[in-house]
Amino acid sequence: MDFKPTIVAFLCNWCAYTGADLAGTSRMKYTANVRIVRIMCSGRIDPTFIMKALRQGADGVLLCGCHPGDCHYHEGNYKCLRRYHLLQRYFRQMGIEKERLRLEWVSASEGSLFVDIVNEMSDVIAQLGPSKLKQEIETTV
Amino acid sequence: MKTNDHRIGVYICWCGTNISGMVDVEALSQSIGQLPDVAVSRDYKYACSDPGQQLIIDDIHEYRLTNVVVASCSPRIHEITFRRAIENAGLNPYMLEMANIREQVSWVHSDRDEATRKAGALIKAAINRVRYHEPLEKRYVDINPTTLVIGAGISGMTAALEIADAGKKVYLVEKADKPGGLVAQLDLTYPHFDSAQELVLSKIKRVNDHPNIDLFLNSTITEISGFIGNFSTHLRLDGQEGQELKFGNIIVATGLRPIDAGIIENYNYRNIPDVITSLEFEKMLLEGNISTEEGKTPKHVAIIHCAGSRNSRYHEYCSRTCCMVALKFIHQIRSILPQTNIYDLYTDMRSFGKGCEALYTRTNNNTMFLMFDKDDLPQIKTANPGDDCSILIEMNEKLSGRSVEIPADMVILMVGMEGQTDAKDIARAVGISLCGSNFFIEKHPKLDPVATTTDGVFIAGACQGPKDIPDSIAQASAAAARVLSTISAGKVQVESITASVNEDICCGCQTCISVCPYSAISFDEEKSVSVVNELICKGCGTCGSTCPTGAIRSRHYTDEQILSQISGLIETANTM
Repeated sequence: MDFKPTIVAFLCNWCAYTGADLAGTSRMKYTANVRIVRIMCSGRIDPTFIMKALRQGADGVLLCGCHPGDCHYHEGNYKCLRRYHLLQRYFRQMGIEKERLRLEWVSASEGSLFVDIVNEMSDVIAQLGPSKLKQEIETTV
Repeated sequence: MKTNDHRIGVYICWCGTNISGMVDVEALSQSIGQLPDVAVSRDYKYACSDPGQQLIIDDIHEYRLTNVVVASCSPRIHEITFRRAIENAGLNPYMLEMANIREQVSWVHSDRDEATRKAGALIKAAINRVRYHEPLEKRYVDINPTTLVIGAGISGMTAALEIADAGKKVYLVEKADKPGGLVAQLDLTYPHFDSAQELVLSKIKRVNDHPNIDLFLNSTITEISGFIGNFSTHLRLDGQEGQELKFGNIIVATGLRPIDAGIIENYNYRNIPDVITSLEFEKMLLEGNISTEEGKTPKHVAIIHCAGSRNSRYHEYCSRTCCMVALKFIHQIRSILPQTNIYDLYTDMRSFGKGCEALYTRTNNNTMFLMFDKDDLPQIKTANPGDDCSILIEMNEKLSGRSVEIPADMVILMVGMEGQTDAKDIARAVGISLCGSNFFIEKHPKLDPVATTTDGVFIAGACQGPKDIPDSIAQASAAAARVLSTISAGKVQVESITASVNEDICCGCQTCISVCPYSAISFDEEKSVSVVNELICKGCGTCGSTCPTGAIRSRHYTDEQILSQISGLIETANTM
């Protein structure tokens, strides 16, 4: 079976989204199963967005912000980092594999880094298989 | 608020073949046209062109559209274009949503079916999202007409003079003890051998004499607060906190520096005194004395190009000016020391730019040109006793395919250039980003090479990337023009994306106040609710994701907008 996971990626406007655009301008290639949501700052990423994506059937969620110290809004990425750690604990309690949520720092000039992250994450989640969360929610509702 | 009365227009751009080559735009526009609330769906060759925009404007009138989705290039490029277009048709500019199907679809994927499916998902997500868009009011801020220019090299002085000549005040801050920068260290310029000193000294004099320029030497900037129109900083003078400055725009013109030639092992720069850098040779030319460490006139001079450039071990980029400087050196050595043998060891001769090819074609005056592979560097070593020279260079000459040995008494390394070592500190202070090698990154490499992603901060000259003097001056003038245009307008439109509090459900916990990076939220004790100062709020949305009751809304990035976008993305991933 050739399982292609669906990944939803939340990218901050100033660093990561611009880096993803640079990957495009540079015609780098990555797997098509990642869907990008642009937000102004990684600090805007509400845990409900992540849970919504998983509940809808995403197999993984990628969060990308500016490198520490480079946040356009000074420190939104640190807020994101804290939420990420809390969510990882929550994931463990929920029985969701930790690989399904990933946080990375990608600057506006790191198009190739973004490509590597997406491809690698897609491979890792393909190994894990489809997320069972959506199915479970559907059967319990 | 979502109403049931949406008439959405969807425009899928071909971008010539840029998108249509990888995404079936015609099939998409047909299937999207069947979706609920979509009043009209079209594909068009170039949506951003005048006729493309007119098509959208005409449709807004004809179909009485309430919202518009444009699927095309990145919103970072044309969101403003399309916002203006729909505004011209009477819609609020924020009733637009874009789907990025070029930079994030057609250019990065290679399977047409997958790319088309993904583009469809992004468009459906945009349609979902745009239903929740709300009209936002335009916001303006007044511009403080004073400008801060960081760096008093040729670029910073040029920008400062242009602004000062227009009658506006400039603070020009330089970390060194004198202005002039790198150009002040040069003798002649290429390709016409004009004096660099004349060029730079005349600018320094004008800067010193100008009533509108305050020049601060031995001064640095460590932190800047505020935003476009109203920045402020405390200067640091010789490491001590100095005067407070207030200004409306910033031009960063911190230039570049030569790499440390010592890191190139093959060249033995640290061990052989007569292996020198191009800037050390400029100093000899300025002093009018080309001589070896022992004070002798060199009988053989070798020039090595690309020292630290175009090599995966050092910098991979071309430093752009060194080839022409090497040719300039050849002319100068030939005229000062007619008997000296000159060897020019190059990898590729890059002589672009006005008058530069002509300089190359007239540089054959008894110079031996030898080519080496950029990944197979020559080896410099001390000559043997009894040799007719003090240095030997072993190299594999690429054109002849032979290993050769070059005699030299002096070797000039054409050192590559990199951004300043403190570029990261500057970047953090003004809120801009670096690309590799400590150069600042521009807002857009083609469409906006002068601005940065931070409004009110511009970059000029070689701090953006290696540049020659004419290009640096051109960019400095461009940055000055950009600043002057905002000063002349007196105010500038800023993003309308701010946070707002729904007082009915605010529980007064003040968590939002603790996370706001701008202290834009205060607490109304009487009502026991948080209050956002929209003049200070920058719209990052951190408060919105922190508020436990959902009382704070991040305008244009509301929970409903993002959640509906997410459901659009996934729904289609599984069903299309």
